[in-house]
Amino acid sequence: MKNKNLPNGTRDEFGSQAEVKEQLQIKLLDLFKNRGFRKLTTPVVEYSDVFKPLSADNYRPYQFLDEQGETLVLRPDLTLPVARVMSTTGIELPVKWYYNGDVFRVKKRLSGSYNQITQAGIEIIGYKGLKADWECLQVALSGCRQLNLADVTVELSQAKFVEAVIRQLPLPDPTKASLKQALFDKDLSRYQSLWAPLTGTAFEKFLSEWPWLFGDFNQVIKIVETLPRAVEVEKIVKSLIATKSFLNQQFPEDHVTLDLSVPSPQSYYTGMAFRGFTGKSADYLFSGGRYDDLLTNFQKVKVSAVGVAFDVDALVERAELPVDQRQTLIYFDDDQWELAESKLAEVQNATLCLSQSRQAAKQLADSTGSRLLDLTKGRQ
Amino acid sequence: MAPIKIALTKGRTEQQVVPLLAASGINCSGLRNKGRKLIFKDDPRYEFILVKGPDVLTYLNSGTVQVGIVGSDILDEQTNFQYAMLNLSVGKCRFVLASTADFNPQQQRRKIIATKYPNITKRYFEGIGEDVEIIKIEGSVELAPLIGLADAIVDIVETGTTLRENNLKVYAKLQPVNTKLVVNRLALRQYQPQIKTLIKNLQAADQQAARANQIEELSK
Repeated sequence: MKNKNLPNGTRDEFGSQAEVKEQLQIKLLDLFKNRGFRKLTTPVVEYSDVFKPLSADNYRPYQFLDEQGETLVLRPDLTLPVARVMSTTGIELPVKWYYNGDVFRVKKRLSGSYNQITQAGIEIIGYKGLKADWECLQVALSGCRQLNLADVTVELSQAKFVEAVIRQLPLPDPTKASLKQALFDKDLSRYQSLWAPLTGTAFEKFLSEWPWLFGDFNQVIKIVETLPRAVEVEKIVKSLIATKSFLNQQFPEDHVTLDLSVPSPQSYYTGMAFRGFTGKSADYLFSGGRYDDLLTNFQKVKVSAVGVAFDVDALVERAELPVDQRQTLIYFDDDQWELAESKLAEVQNATLCLSQSRQAAKQLADSTGSRLLDLTKGRQ
Repeated sequence: MAPIKIALTKGRTEQQVVPLLAASGINCSGLRNKGRKLIFKDDPRYEFILVKGPDVLTYLNSGTVQVGIVGSDILDEQTNFQYAMLNLSVGKCRFVLASTADFNPQQQRRKIIATKYPNITKRYFEGIGEDVEIIKIEGSVELAPLIGLADAIVDIVETGTTLRENNLKVYAKLQPVNTKLVVNRLALRQYQPQIKTLIKNLQAADQQAARANQIEELSK
């Protein structure tokens, strides 16, 4: 019998932790709504094919079969269902969605990790320009600000940068592929042996630093500028610099860093990607980016899109849980219900005490450290 | 700045790596005379914890430590998502397929293979297009073909002495193994300069030690 156990990787949430989580979500959803985003809710259960673009290594879903033998999953991601909605409905573009819900990813058994992650996020669909990327960043950082998260670092990256540089390297194709993999794995030992043939070329300075090409924005750009000129790289750098000055202007107290040594956080990203973290968090607080090739509209035409999602559980982890305040128990007789209701509305942090006798009410107040408001005092 | 927490695999890896850490300028006095302690804060920049190899990734993945030092056998077996940034020249050995002298690798039936590393074994046999029955053993794997539990074993071999003493032969060489320094993905961003310094110094100390060993080997 398993009627008293939770499956691995799941948990109950209650009390302060559950309440803080709810408050955080309400604040974020208000932020989205107040900026004119519309709500999109998709089902928790979808066909497994919807999530094919995800790399299977990172997102192992819970799977089961429907009555026809088709594989169903508990959704491991919230962006791909949006893609499904956009390609099957005639919704007019452009459109701005917000969503809030749980995603399920099966992690390693018995590792203490939690398989159900709550996300809240937005998708902006149908705008090609940088402005849409910037609104995502604006929403992400306004959200952090509203949740009183100080000292946030936004890390920008670009899905096309690595490929744009690798293409220029005078190396055979198989070496290029291995070099890229070693770079992405940050396998320094292997990386160093692979680029060694280019020592002494114009690429040397850049290649020697590439696995470390993240962190301080200006320093990263300085190293990129040692590369031989290439139109595509210059275009990427220009938009990153513009984005950095936008962020510095809007959120002068937050830090902007750059990472040009990583694969994009999702394989479907095609442009700028961004993630946020603080010095203390063990997880990224938000993550997003542009994905122009994933969405097609009803007529199978590709549609530009950019989105960002908060990891609500990581935010809760960072939030300070309120110290439980002393509660007031309102004890009353059966015929005093109306009076009790009015006291309930008047007194902060109060709740009706439903005990049958005054003595039981007193005991309850003593054992929970609550204050007792006794409306039956002086009555017989 | 908070110290960087490093999970070090206890046992042989620890014995081989501590001299390298010391050579790279880290105060390892506590680690050298450790008694039964598990946490060491002798160097203000680092906090070392001693854990079993398979637990290194559990600590790293949870973000409770920033750096791990562990054998590549464990990284391969567990599937690692963190950055294995540096190969150290210590802990070098190799996975092999071994069995008794009368074992026939071409035998016409489904083989039974005993191992401590079921995932690595599965991948190897999938790679050569063979399907085998795998039996997970926790230790003294060499026994399995001798006692008749399995046809052959997949295990790590350093010098081959244990195999020879048990009259076992190597039938195939699989991937090599060495000790690696692994860094949590997010921690690398949070502690970039400190981790870069750690890696640079450790790499230099390791290269020097590797050269010294080579010279010693040659002069033998």
